[in-house]
Amino acid sequence: MTDLDLSRVWLVDPGRGREGPAELVVRRGVIRAIRWLRGPEAEGIDDRGIVVAPAFVDLHAHLREPGNEAAETIASGLLAAAHGGFGWVGAMPNTTPAVDTPGSLELLDRRVLDAGQDLPPGEGTPGVLAWGAVTVSRAGEQLAPLAELAGAGVVGFSEDGAPVRSAAILRSALAYAGMLGLPIVDHPEDHGLTEGAEANEGLVATVLGLKGWPAAGEVAAVARDIAILEDVVRDVPAARLHLTHLSVAGSFELVRAARARGLPVTCDVTPHHLALSDEWLAGARRWAWEALDEAGRRRDPWVDGALVAEPYDTATKVNPPLRSPEDARACRMALRDGTADAIATDHAPHAAIDKAVEFGLAANGITGIETALGVVLAAVDAGELTLARAIALLTVGPRRVLGSSLGPDRIGVGQLAELVVFDRSTTWQVSPGTLRSLGKNSPLLGRALAGRVLLVLHLGRVAYQDGGGAER
Amino acid sequence: MSAGSAIDLPTWRHRHLLDVDRLTWPELETLMAVADRFATATADPATKLDVLRGVNVTILFYEASTRTRVSFEIAAKKLGADVVSVTATGSSVTKGESLIDTVRTLEATGTRMLVMRHATSGAPYLVPAIFGGNVINGGDGWHAHPTQALLDLYTLREALPAPVGSEAGSKAGPGAEAAWSLRGRKVAIVGDLLHSRVARSNLWTLTAAGADVWACGPSTLLRGFEAWAATGAGGRHFTATSDVDAAIRDADAVMTLRIQKERMAGGLLPSLREYAATYGITRERLRGAKPDVLVMHPGPMNEGVEIAPDVAEGPGSLITSQVHNGIAIRMAVLALLDAAGPVA
Repeated sequence: MTDLDLSRVWLVDPGRGREGPAELVVRRGVIRAIRWLRGPEAEGIDDRGIVVAPAFVDLHAHLREPGNEAAETIASGLLAAAHGGFGWVGAMPNTTPAVDTPGSLELLDRRVLDAGQDLPPGEGTPGVLAWGAVTVSRAGEQLAPLAELAGAGVVGFSEDGAPVRSAAILRSALAYAGMLGLPIVDHPEDHGLTEGAEANEGLVATVLGLKGWPAAGEVAAVARDIAILEDVVRDVPAARLHLTHLSVAGSFELVRAARARGLPVTCDVTPHHLALSDEWLAGARRWAWEALDEAGRRRDPWVDGALVAEPYDTATKVNPPLRSPEDARACRMALRDGTADAIATDHAPHAAIDKAVEFGLAANGITGIETALGVVLAAVDAGELTLARAIALLTVGPRRVLGSSLGPDRIGVGQLAELVVFDRSTTWQVSPGTLRSLGKNSPLLGRALAGRVLLVLHLGRVAYQDGGGAER
Repeated sequence: MSAGSAIDLPTWRHRHLLDVDRLTWPELETLMAVADRFATATADPATKLDVLRGVNVTILFYEASTRTRVSFEIAAKKLGADVVSVTATGSSVTKGESLIDTVRTLEATGTRMLVMRHATSGAPYLVPAIFGGNVINGGDGWHAHPTQALLDLYTLREALPAPVGSEAGSKAGPGAEAAWSLRGRKVAIVGDLLHSRVARSNLWTLTAAGADVWACGPSTLLRGFEAWAATGAGGRHFTATSDVDAAIRDADAVMTLRIQKERMAGGLLPSLREYAATYGITRERLRGAKPDVLVMHPGPMNEGVEIAPDVAEGPGSLITSQVHNGIAIRMAVLALLDAAGPVA
C-alpha cells in the first residue's frame, strides 16, 4: 500500500473549515499524521502552490458503458476522473441498457472491478457511485425496482439526459425513494419549451439563427419539482430532491426560496455553466466573468474583438446550453452563498462522429471531468470563488447531497487516504492527447489550465500519479 | 462567343463567403462595383467570360431552391466555370453520408468552389477545415443568406441613387457614385424575422450601408430581435417593432418575408388569414410610406398572404430586378473568392 510524505503543502480540509500550511504522513494507505504548520515552519507556503485536499466527488458523470463504448468506457472514464482529481464518480444510469435493475448494476460493478484488476498493488481506480433509473428503461411510465436497486447499492435515482416527465411519476418516486432514504436527481427541463432547441435563447441564438432554449424551460420545471416535493414531504419527511446542472438565474431564486421554507432540496452547477457562456457559440473564448463590464452589463463580442474562433463549434453544444454571462454570474453567486451545494461535471463524452456534424444535429455534451478543476481554479484566480469554497463544492458539498454514504467529511488520522494533490503554479495543455477520456469534445481544447493534478489517492490506493512533463 | 478575361479584379481577403457579418462597407462597395462590371460585360446574353475557365463549381443543395440554385449556375457558367449541381435529398440526420464525407468526395472529384444550401444554421462552417477550395453559403437554416443580402443591397443601390445635392453626393463631386449609401433611407423588413436568414443577413448589410432599418413582425415571429435592437449588439442599430404602420411610415423600401404554413402548427400564428389581415403588405398599408416606396421580396412569394398581388406587380416592385441582379452579384462573389485563392 501507499507510503507518502507530504511536507510543506497547503492543506484544505473543508470538513473542518480549515486550510493552511501543513504536512501529512500516509503509511500503507492510512493517514498516520497531520500537522498544521505555524510560525517559521509555515513560511513560504501559500495557497498558490501545492494544494492537498480531499479527493473530489463528482455527482454527475456519463461513463457510456454499456452501449456507447466509442464515446467512453468505464475504464477510460475512471482514468479521466482520476486525471481530474476525483476519487468518487457518480455514474448516470442512461446507458444502453439503462441501469434499472440490480442485474444491470452488477454489470457496472463488474466493469469497475475489471478496470482495477490488472493494476499493481497499491494502485486503484476511483470509486463509482451508481445512480439508478427512476423508471423502467427510462421510459417514464413505470417505476423501476427502486427498493431492489437501493439494496444493490445505488446512491439515488435519476432519469438524467431527460427530466422525470410525468409529474405523477415524480411524486411517487420522491415518496418511494424518500422511504428508502435516497434522493431523486432531476434534470429540470420542460420539453414543451425546448423541443428542437439548439442554444440558449438570447442574443447569441438570435444572431446565429439557432433555435432558442428559453430560461423558462428550466425555471418552469424547477418550480414544478419543488411544488411536488413540498406536497410529498408532508407525508414523507425523508423525501429529497436534487436538481442537477441548474443554469439560469431564475432557478436559483426558486431553490433559495424553497430552502428558506425548509424544503429538502439541493442542487449543483457544472463548471461550464459557471465559467463559460453562450458567446462561445459565436466564437468567443473568454471566461463568463470577462464577458461582463464593470457595471455588470454584457459586453458586445461582435465589436470588442472577443470572437477569436469560428462560430458553431459543436464542442460548445450542451444541454442545458451555455447560458448568458448574467446567468453564469447567477451560478457563481449561488455557489458562493450556499444556494448551490456542489459543482458536478456532467461529464458527457461523445465519439467524434457524433460531434463532427452540423451544429443542430450534433450530440449534446461536454467532456468535462478532467477540466473541472482547471475551470474552477480560473474562477478562483478571478476572485469569483475562494479556494476553500471551490474545494468544498467539489468535496463536502456533494458528500452532503449523497448523505453519509461516503464516510467522514473531515481529513483525519487513521482514515484510508482519500486525497488529491495538485499544483496551482503549473498549467497543463488541454488536447486530445492529454485528455484520458475517449471523448475529446471539449471547448477548452488548446487552452492551458492551472492546477495540474499530481496525485489522487482513493481509499488508500493511488488512482492517479502525474507522469512528468508530457502535459505541459 | 467567349470574351477575354478583360476584367481586372480588385484584391479580396476572404476565401469564403459564409456570412456578411464581417464584411466592411468598403468591401460591400467593392462587391457591387465588380457586379456592375460583370453586368455590363455580360449584357449580351450570349457572352461568356473565361474568368473561371477550368474551375469546377459544385452547387450542393440540401434544401429545395429554384432561384438561388439557378442563379448560381448561370453566374458560374457566364464566368466560364464547369458547373455541377447536386441536390441532396437527405443529410447526415438520416444517418446516410455525413456532410463532411460528401464534401471530401466532391473535393476528390475536382470541386474547387462549393456553393452550399443547408437547412441547419451554421452547416457551411464545418467545411473550410476539411476542404481546400472556396465555400459560398447559399443559405443556412435561419442564419444567413449572404448573396441574397448582397443582391438586395445592389438592387437598392440601383433603385435609390444618392439624392442630388445630398451630403455624400456634394462632397464626393464627380466621383459621387462611389459615395452611394443608404444614409437617410428607411427600410422596413416585415414578416417572419425569427426564421429568416434573409432578414438576418440584410440586417448586417443594410445597417452597414447606413439605412434606418425597421424589423417588424408579430411578436412571436420577432422573438429575440427586440433584445438585439435594444442592445445594438454587433454595432447594429435598428428598430424592432410589431407596429406595422410605424415600420412602414415614410419608408423608402419595404422588404417582405415569406410566411411559412408550418408556423401555424408551431403555435406561432393563429392563421395565414389573420397574418394577411394584420401584416400583409397591401396598397392601402403602403399609403403611409413614401409615395414612390419600393417593395422587395426574396421569393418564393405567397401572394395574398405577406404581399398583395397588386403590390408584387405594382410600380414600386423590385422583385424581378432582385432576381436579375442576383446573377451579377453571384458572378462578383465567385470571381472575387477565386481570386483570393484556394487555401494553400
